[in-house]
Amino acid sequence: MGDAPPAVEARCLSKRYGGRTVLDCVSLEAGRGELVAVVGPNGAGKSTLLRILAGLEEPDGGSLRAEKPLGLVFQENMLLPWRSLRDNIAMGLRYRRLPRGEAEERVRRAAELLGIADYLDRRPGEVSGGTARKAAVARMLVLEPRVLLLDEPLAGLDAASRRSLLEALRRIADGGRAVILVDHSLADVAAVADRVYVLSPPPGRVAAVLDLAALPPGERAKRLAEAMLRLAR
Amino acid sequence: MPSPAATLRFLAAEGASRILGNTLLTLARSTAGFLLGLAAAAALGYLYTLHWAAREAVRALNTLLQSVSVLVWIIVFLILFGIYSPLPPVLVSAAVSLPILLSSIVAGLESSSRGLVELAAVLGAPRWRLYPDFLLPSLLPQLAGAARAALGAALRISVVAEAMGASGGIGYMIENYYSLAEPVGVFAWGLLLVALMVFLDQLVLARLERWVKEWATLPRR
Repeated sequence: MGDAPPAVEARCLSKRYGGRTVLDCVSLEAGRGELVAVVGPNGAGKSTLLRILAGLEEPDGGSLRAEKPLGLVFQENMLLPWRSLRDNIAMGLRYRRLPRGEAEERVRRAAELLGIADYLDRRPGEVSGGTARKAAVARMLVLEPRVLLLDEPLAGLDAASRRSLLEALRRIADGGRAVILVDHSLADVAAVADRVYVLSPPPGRVAAVLDLAALPPGERAKRLAEAMLRLAR
Repeated sequence: MPSPAATLRFLAAEGASRILGNTLLTLARSTAGFLLGLAAAAALGYLYTLHWAAREAVRALNTLLQSVSVLVWIIVFLILFGIYSPLPPVLVSAAVSLPILLSSIVAGLESSSRGLVELAAVLGAPRWRLYPDFLLPSLLPQLAGAARAALGAALRISVVAEAMGASGGIGYMIENYYSLAEPVGVFAWGLLLVALMVFLDQLVLARLERWVKEWATLPRR
């Protein structure tokens, strides 16, 4: 991460719903240009953590500092079925009153980065699930967030779409943004993530942190296998 | 009791211009009432999303509208505007459409996903854009079904209002022939009303409902 302060710095976040602890002192950092993954089983508090980072929920304890603006890609695409992908992607720009040319340019750049430029004039029902998911990512990306959060972006996608989306997210991070995604699958995200936070079964605690940034692909797989073995014990 | 053949002969003898004129008048009144009800329901839905107090007021109004008999509306509007006014059939149609449409909107808003509200917030939509840009469009598939029911009800009720006090329309013609003790006329115009409702429901509204649902819903993969 270098000497620059991280774009997101969460210290000992905790969250309770009623008498149930969902997050138990979870700390996390993401710097500019980093792709950070949070993985864990169902109920580990991954989505809650993301919602706290996005400001949609208040933590019960801990501290959080995050650079703004901050974009959140929800688990459901929530694209408007009767609008083209172009109009869906540009939706947030309407509220920022950008000049038309600049808005179109942002949509074009985001679509090219995500590899969906050929589908901009199609409606969500006319494209694959992977393309629709990328459009949902592009809708946030055009708002030029410093931090991009994604809630299980790989859910429901086939292997090729997952790989393609992860590569696109890697490019987004390489462009200087902090990207944080949560997912079930350690294997999927370990291929592209700089760091992986593994949450324990409920209540969610950080069970392991894997720093993978400088490791070659073969070494990543080895570190991943070791971590999985440790967690399985 | 007039035979079907006699009823059809009577209807044919009424002439195309008389049939068309009265049918269009009834259609125009019921459609105007329906659109008035739709606009009011949409506006009340907007109020519903603005403040908790408005939400409670809209809920109470919806309950009130559902509990008022159509007959009460007809009498009230006839007293207010008189039997020669074109307004009572229109307003009665609106009063009948409104609770059907409003119930659909309120039910939709109460069950609409928190995700849409959060998406609007994340995209930076001002609060007053939440309803027109996110919530109302998401309700369109179920609203289409309610609109079909509401327009059918508006047509049926505007005919009753015409029968009780109007200067034209299918309801007026039925009442007219009843007063003249000509049951064949009552049957002929009643048959026309049934045919019109079947045509409207099956050939126009059902197709429109299907089209809106396809337009506003993502196909399942």
